[in-house]
Amino acid sequence: MENKNQHIILKTEDLSIGYTSKKAKTIVANNINIELKRGELVGLIGANGIGKSTLLRTLTQVQNPLSGSIHLNKKNVLDYNPLDLAKVMSLVLTGQITSKNLSVLELVALGRQPYTNWVGNLSENDITVINNALLQTNIEALKHRKCFELSDGQLQKVMIARALAQDTDLIILDEPTTHLDMYHKAYILKLLQRLAKETNKTILFSSHEIDLAIQLCDNLIVMTNDVVISGQPCNLIKKGVFETLFPKDLIAFDEKTGSFRVKK
Amino acid sequence: MFNLIAKRLINLIFESLNLFNLKNFILIFILISFFGCKKEQNIPEMPINTTKKSNIAYAEGFSITNGVNFNILEIKNPWPKAEKNFKYVLISAESAAKTTFADDAYDGIIITPIEKIVVTSTTHIPALELLNVEKTLVGFPGTDYVSSKKTRARIDSKLVRELGKNEGLNTEVLLSIHPNLVVAFGVDGKSKSLQTIKNANIPVVYNGDWVENSPLAKAEWIKFFGALYNKEQEAETLFKQIETDYNAAKKLALNTKNKPTVLCGAMHKDIWYLPNGESTEAQLLKDANTNYLWSETTGKGSLSLNFEVVFNKARTASLWFSPSYYTSLEALEKGSKHYTAFDAFKNKKVYSFSNTTGKTGGVTYYELGTARPDLVLKDIIKICHPELLKNYEPYFFKPLL
Amino acid sequence: MVKTQSYKITFTLLILLALILFFINLNLGSVNITLKDFFSSFFTYEKNYSTPEYIIQSYRLPKAITAVLVGSGLGISGLLMQTMFRNPLAGPFVLGITSGASLGVALVIMGASLLGGFATHFLMNEWSIVIAASLGSFLVLLIVLIVSSKVRDTMAILIIGLMFGSITAAIVSVLAYFSSAEELQQYIFWGFGSLGDLQWKELKIFAIVYAIGLVFTIAAIKGLNTLLLGENYAKSLGLNIKRNRIIIVIAASLLAGTITAFAGPIAFIGLAVPHLTRLLFNTSNHKILLPAVFILGAIIMLICDSIAQLPNSDYTLPINAITSLVGAPVVIWLLVRKRKMMF
Repeated sequence: MENKNQHIILKTEDLSIGYTSKKAKTIVANNINIELKRGELVGLIGANGIGKSTLLRTLTQVQNPLSGSIHLNKKNVLDYNPLDLAKVMSLVLTGQITSKNLSVLELVALGRQPYTNWVGNLSENDITVINNALLQTNIEALKHRKCFELSDGQLQKVMIARALAQDTDLIILDEPTTHLDMYHKAYILKLLQRLAKETNKTILFSSHEIDLAIQLCDNLIVMTNDVVISGQPCNLIKKGVFETLFPKDLIAFDEKTGSFRVKK
Repeated sequence: MFNLIAKRLINLIFESLNLFNLKNFILIFILISFFGCKKEQNIPEMPINTTKKSNIAYAEGFSITNGVNFNILEIKNPWPKAEKNFKYVLISAESAAKTTFADDAYDGIIITPIEKIVVTSTTHIPALELLNVEKTLVGFPGTDYVSSKKTRARIDSKLVRELGKNEGLNTEVLLSIHPNLVVAFGVDGKSKSLQTIKNANIPVVYNGDWVENSPLAKAEWIKFFGALYNKEQEAETLFKQIETDYNAAKKLALNTKNKPTVLCGAMHKDIWYLPNGESTEAQLLKDANTNYLWSETTGKGSLSLNFEVVFNKARTASLWFSPSYYTSLEALEKGSKHYTAFDAFKNKKVYSFSNTTGKTGGVTYYELGTARPDLVLKDIIKICHPELLKNYEPYFFKPLL
Repeated sequence: MVKTQSYKITFTLLILLALILFFINLNLGSVNITLKDFFSSFFTYEKNYSTPEYIIQSYRLPKAITAVLVGSGLGISGLLMQTMFRNPLAGPFVLGITSGASLGVALVIMGASLLGGFATHFLMNEWSIVIAASLGSFLVLLIVLIVSSKVRDTMAILIIGLMFGSITAAIVSVLAYFSSAEELQQYIFWGFGSLGDLQWKELKIFAIVYAIGLVFTIAAIKGLNTLLLGENYAKSLGLNIKRNRIIIVIAASLLAGTITAFAGPIAFIGLAVPHLTRLLFNTSNHKILLPAVFILGAIIMLICDSIAQLPNSDYTLPINAITSLVGAPVVIWLLVRKRKMMF
């Protein structure tokens, strides 16, 4: 369970996220204090529009926080230069990649960019890491196929393999299970759980699959209207956090099964 | 956007004059309005059998028919591929008061002699001066181009108004000086400044001297101006003199044994433009008894040839005439290093009229050259056969230094 | 990596083809030149050239080299722009380079009469057109970059470049309206593009600037490949997006700008050659694409020039007409065959 000596990979202090325009500041969420430890699978859940994407974008430095700080490996994220940051944190995003004309191998190899020389040549070590990533995500057989030939599920695995090849302490995935059927949703999340254990990397993902997240994650970050809570799934259930997630008219949270059921 | 202007200009440049006569084209189209002088009496036009065509030997673009009370000036080919002829009546003021003409019978009724004239090309000015009527010139578009000293003096004394440059003819100023006639030239019959001038009842005549096919035909248009000023006899005499001098020089040149090879023109980028064998320039070279290397070519407009072809044929040509607008050998070299490989360049036998200009930069050849082909021919003869015409100094062509 | 063997064969064949076409280009022209004269021209002193030798050495050879530089340079520049903007319709001139060059040249040729004596003296200088074109394209580029540094979205830069293109075109129209026939003719002929107009000393300067552009291009290879994933991923992989953008823009501008300055605006090559290369090599990896585009661009330009020379006839066609006439159908045919756009 909780190992007090576990290394904290990511920590936020009084983080406040949102948007600024010339006229006003829009606060999406504040007082965010979360910790992610090494080797954990952490799910980020919440209703639509609650700010999951904003939080992820803030954590991944795509947009700036309104206030507060983020620390990666005990160092403020702002003190990292882009190259060092790339060696600590990698992403898997939703949305199409620009060039589907790449082969699977070429795409995964791009994950090694922070480590290669100025022209992008791969060393032997790089090739080993790439091959490992392919093995771990079970896509060895697809190595030479072009990405536009793959199904959504296969493509998702390729993107995860790429993030693995980047060999970072933290991997952040934005809704990795949209577009996938139920089987593949479970497959991907199970894969993430296995990877977290095997590689000792911290994996943070946002998702709408609350029941799967509850079953598979070591830790959950739940965003509600008022507050951002994090903790182990069982604890959060006990606290009744999930009951306040959604309006109660249509669905209700069933503690026993750890899932939402439609009201009759 | 720009491509339309580009296309039009290319047609303009290629189909009209070749290199020697590259003019500044100003498009004016001034429509003729009819003199509807309605009197009670209707005096009919005169029958054909009392008319007599005046003698025009070379020019094909105009004819003058002399009648009792008025003359008829017909312009036949004011621009290449013109589809209609223009007929004008030349009549004195008193006769005009007594005569009615049917609408649409003529393109204009012109009261002669002209007292105030606007011309639009420098080629029109020598005729006025030779006939001693240059004082009737009241306006000209692009006065900087005028090189003749006499007219320049009038321009400087503000007796000749500036009517605009390039595309924009200033109709307001033109109307304010009340000319009796505007001598225009059309390139393709399309125009600007239409409506205002149409309404002002100013007759416009097209001068097609630049369309003519031979040097003497172009010079013969002095008779066109003669008719406008009731000075037909004088024009006849002047032209006769030019013709005689021209033919005398031509005969003189035929007696020589030496027939030097001649190259003309210059390049834009790597395309060489030179006159084709049927052009006036080529005819002058032929009449001067030279071997212009492309004298066998035919067609209208300049030849545009690849550098290789010209170099291959004319590298060893003895003389080089009219390399575009370059004014010195240094400028020529800067234009393209390839020019220096020609023998004519190496031997400094390059001749151009670009350095003979008026005070404001107008090239004299473009102005006077059309009216005085005898001088042009003599220039060429003197340059090509230095042993002839011992006392003659070339007027237009000077060697490039 | 993948199938490097087959790439080696394709590359060797292409290089051979390029050399053969170079040789053919030198031997085709309006004037028939024997092979004997051709070879002897390489061994004669310049001042002793016979007419055919002069044509080969002083006219066709510089022209062929120009064709190689222009074709390869425009192809590379186009590839850079297509990757940077992730837009298959981008070409080397989307940043307003031709517009800037046209404006500079228009000012020198047509604005000279407005500026009076000083300008005519400047015009006498054989470098005036080149300098004007370079300055013009550099200035427009600078303005586009300054404006786009205030903008985050790369797509906006594309639009800004196009807008500046319209502005410069408008200014050129005004200049054209007030200029004389000779000036207009000169400007129009510059716009036709011309490969055969360069002397050896001009070619030297051209080659030097071209080489600098190439150096910048090579420096950008890694970033270009990273950009294939999109800007967000690129950033997460440690790519300094702003710096990379600047390197790519400098590389593309040096190449396209110097080509436009020396040879005039040449259409279509920058847009088509990267597509043809992608289709032929079936890859998006810039380590392969860049050299491939280099060779293929040179090949296509040599072919176009040989056609434009209308061998054995006295006439020549403007190069721009040929590049479009030859290039467009080829791209259409390839796309129809492969039935989808590789990008």
